Amino acid sequence: MLHIWGIEMKTILETLLIGVSSGSIYSLMALALVLVWRSTRVVNFAQAGQAIISTYIGYESMKHLHSYWYSVLVAIVAGAILGAAVEAFVMRPLAKRVRGSAAADIAPVIATLGILGLIRGVAGLIWGNTFVQYTSPLSGKGYTFGSTTIQFSPQNAAIVIGAALVMAAFAIIFNFTKLGLALRASSFQPEISRLAGIRVDRIRVIGWACAGAAGAVAGALVTPTAYLSPNSLDLLLVSGFVAAVIGGLDSLVGAGIGGVVLGIGFAFILQYIGASVTFLAAFIILIFVLLVKPAGIMGKSGGRSA
Amino acid sequence: MHKRISSLARLGIFAAIGLVLIALSGFVDELRVYQGAEVAVYVVAIASITLLTGYSGQLSLGHGAIMAIGAYAATLAFNGWHIPWMAALAVGALAGAVAGYILGFAAARLSGPYLAGTTLALAVGIPSLANQFHVLGGEQGLTFDIGDVPTWASHSWLAKIGHGDFTTYKWFYWITVPIALATIWVVRNILTGPIGRRFKAMRSNPTAASLIGIRVSSTKVAAFTYSSSLAGLAGAMLAMILGLSAPLVFTLTLSFTLVTGAVLSGVSNLYGGIIGAMVLVAIPELSASVATHLGGSEKVTANLPGVVTSLLLILTVLILPNGARVRRSK
Amino acid sequence: MQVQRSTSRRISIAFAALTALALVSTSMPANAFSPHSEVGVSGSTIKLGISVPLTGAAAPGYNKVPYAMKAYFDYVNANGGVNGRKIQLVIKDDAYSPALAKSVTNDLVLKDKVFALVGTLGTADNEATTKFVNDHKVPRLFINTGFSGFASAKKYPTTFPLFPSYAMEAKIMGKYIADNFPGKKVALIYQDDDFGADALKGFATAGTTFVAKIPYVSASQSDPTVVGKWIGTIVQSQADVAIMFGVSSATAAALGGAYKAGLAGKVQWILGSVGSDPTTIKTLAPTALPLLTGAIAASFLPSPADSSDPYVKLFQDVNAKYNNNAVFDNNVLVGMNTAMLTVQALRAAGKNLTRASLMAAISSKGSTWASAAFSPILYSGTSHVGYSGYWFGRLSGNGDSTPVDGAGKYVLYTTDSGSGAVVKATINRPALPEKGLPNN
Repeated sequence: MLHIWGIEMKTILETLLIGVSSGSIYSLMALALVLVWRSTRVVNFAQAGQAIISTYIGYESMKHLHSYWYSVLVAIVAGAILGAAVEAFVMRPLAKRVRGSAAADIAPVIATLGILGLIRGVAGLIWGNTFVQYTSPLSGKGYTFGSTTIQFSPQNAAIVIGAALVMAAFAIIFNFTKLGLALRASSFQPEISRLAGIRVDRIRVIGWACAGAAGAVAGALVTPTAYLSPNSLDLLLVSGFVAAVIGGLDSLVGAGIGGVVLGIGFAFILQYIGASVTFLAAFIILIFVLLVKPAGIMGKSGGRSA
Repeated sequence: MHKRISSLARLGIFAAIGLVLIALSGFVDELRVYQGAEVAVYVVAIASITLLTGYSGQLSLGHGAIMAIGAYAATLAFNGWHIPWMAALAVGALAGAVAGYILGFAAARLSGPYLAGTTLALAVGIPSLANQFHVLGGEQGLTFDIGDVPTWASHSWLAKIGHGDFTTYKWFYWITVPIALATIWVVRNILTGPIGRRFKAMRSNPTAASLIGIRVSSTKVAAFTYSSSLAGLAGAMLAMILGLSAPLVFTLTLSFTLVTGAVLSGVSNLYGGIIGAMVLVAIPELSASVATHLGGSEKVTANLPGVVTSLLLILTVLILPNGARVRRSK
Repeated sequence: MQVQRSTSRRISIAFAALTALALVSTSMPANAFSPHSEVGVSGSTIKLGISVPLTGAAAPGYNKVPYAMKAYFDYVNANGGVNGRKIQLVIKDDAYSPALAKSVTNDLVLKDKVFALVGTLGTADNEATTKFVNDHKVPRLFINTGFSGFASAKKYPTTFPLFPSYAMEAKIMGKYIADNFPGKKVALIYQDDDFGADALKGFATAGTTFVAKIPYVSASQSDPTVVGKWIGTIVQSQADVAIMFGVSSATAAALGGAYKAGLAGKVQWILGSVGSDPTTIKTLAPTALPLLTGAIAASFLPSPADSSDPYVKLFQDVNAKYNNNAVFDNNVLVGMNTAMLTVQALRAAGKNLTRASLMAAISSKGSTWASAAFSPILYSGTSHVGYSGYWFGRLSGNGDSTPVDGAGKYVLYTTDSGSGAVVKATINRPALPEKGLPNN
């Protein structure tokens, strides 16, 4: 075995790979949060719930389609529809009511918490508070090199590739399409966009739908490595939010970077310090990043007010 | 608001209200007395959010963690130094203040969702520390038993009003209700004084505030410190009525519940916090009784209360987004 | 704004009034008329209560226990009840939070006015309600935790734990390893709290030494990275035997991780009783199956898959008829077994049922009652210790656990929570009463 300063190289590489894999999931969740933040200036805590529902729908559809990959597509569509519905039926009416009031920043956050609770309850009503398996055809067994098996499996590889594909798709949409231009314009200058003929309400719904789809990919890819229950994605939401903040809430690229940075950070903290300090370490990482760059790694300089 | 009432006169009014509330404990059953104590704890916790969010404009999702710090500090001090419970509660408030002062320096540089994200990591990170250090008792936590009701209380003339035994729960109520009232009185004095005026100026227009000589960052640190000392106190009170400090008490759900309570109270409304606290205590029970009346399968009885609670929350925010009482500050 | 303001105020007053009304109306005594003087007992009913996680992260698995209990009570009720009284079980959700456990226990005792609490779950949850339960002298029967402290009759006078303590289990496991794997390198994964501390104490008494001791924080097992760390440590320690002394989700994660790392067939796994229910493990980590097969597990109850066992067979029948035929796993078995003991306790307390007579009956007669466990019950006038022994089985992939010496050859090890020796005991389980209906 190759050692550097007494540290085993295999362990480092393995930790790095695991970090990238879990970080990819955080990135997808962060991406979903960033998309919503950019389109409506809301931190959407319901995202974990939306991803739970879309994953359950994927799980149900797999019973009929007999294909994991088709069921992932179904989950993505379901996630997009759910995201659009939450914006159109709850968030938009609320935003109109609170505009300019003391609670304008906080009431929507509380509403998303309410939706999270509602969705978890509904998932429990339909599927019960129990664990179910949503399995992928890919092996969960780590790749073997010679005599050593590493803790990185084909499913982990699928997670990394899937996340990269989603990121690339959004990068293309945002930078090279008319829709992307409209999405960017309406988030920064809603009034001017409206004057320019962009239908801001519709664009916001599209932003929420895109976020729902990204969250659905995260849920559908990560669940086969563990199990599905109404609460199984709760911590992923926290990690995703922390990743989004590290990267900069306005930046899609930042979400990607933030997720991977956090994933690798967690992996090494676990390897060399211990599990009970991970989120405290995340807090310290956040403080350091934000004290240097108050709007995240990819954020515009100068803190942005909510 | 009746601005003409002096703060000393208000103290008198509060003391009278406190006496009436305590006398009332002789006429309600033990269940309600405990819920009264829970309401009192929530009043203090919501006041800590109101002070921070309503008046200085910062949103913290990590106040559950500050409550945990207060709870553990109070418990350790009570068990380790054998000090009176009242001193232990003060230690909890002090520990919260210290944590808030440190956190305030980071918070002063962050705004909106960036602060929310940072404090969210704190909310998850702090309680799990209990598993890292054995002095904190791990998953099972540390017991915080203030012992039997002292005879000066159970044999006092106040205790003779009404009927029923002087239970431990009644004693908790006697302790927590005056603390909650005192908290409202103190916070009100802070907010109507020079500090409060600085908070309001900072909230409505930070640039203008700095132009008239308000040091925005030190004001934010002050807001965080005051707010956290209340959260620490609330945590210590919660540990006392539960009889223990354990990581499972201070979950993310608690942090979210507090912000919810503050919104139900109308974020910047100090008195609204009382209504918010009552609603927080009442909602689970109301939802559970709705669920029981509707009946149904295991899945329904388990999940319906959560669904009803969430629906109530969403509807409340939609119908009364500015809280139970509207009070717009110009 | 003025209009909206006054509307809001009116709504808010209405809201507050409604809340107040609801609180007052629910505080009315539920049933003032009762021919019997004891709380929760009427001429025709006995009301029992349980608080368990029905929602939240800890709910899966545990949420089956109260419904299994209810199913067995329904079976007994359909056959005449206990001394002519039907048993009602009030089930409340505490989401595994001590604060909620406290408030729902207040509800159970003060509002629902239950006669006794049965099978309440979780160490911290039970701890938070202890003072209240002691003050009100509410019997708390057969609680679902192995923390040895609850056996103290002085500190918990109304509490009767049932499960053997974690310290007993570890001591017995240490003895088993010394007898069957002498000189082998042993690694241990344990939960870093009182559960684990109890276990470490037991292993120390048994003189077990480890090449690697891996503590884990509860809930961290859902993170695959954490699990990778455990397995890495086991590989580095070159252990021959790995003990997993944790909850189901952690056990599943460890076995899944070990499979991922290619450890199948290289390390002998020994699983603690808390986390070794194969049905749960299979659901949590399907990849763990190859390692589950051949793993050794400590149990005090028979295997839930062993239909040849009369108790298991009866409970399976009750499950089919009264529990919507839920998946029959260890949680269902535990629930039914707890309910069967409860019925015997209620019968033994007599027609003139009181809280005091119930607790006296458990102390004086509890050790003779029929229960599915192979271990004897140790309740006496001075002891609140329930079960005290374990047998070791080899798991098959389908969830069956067969005694290591072969089918039907159960070998029981018993001990205490202190420094007492571990002894091989003969199994002397009371026969299943006719039709599974207690006749004590």
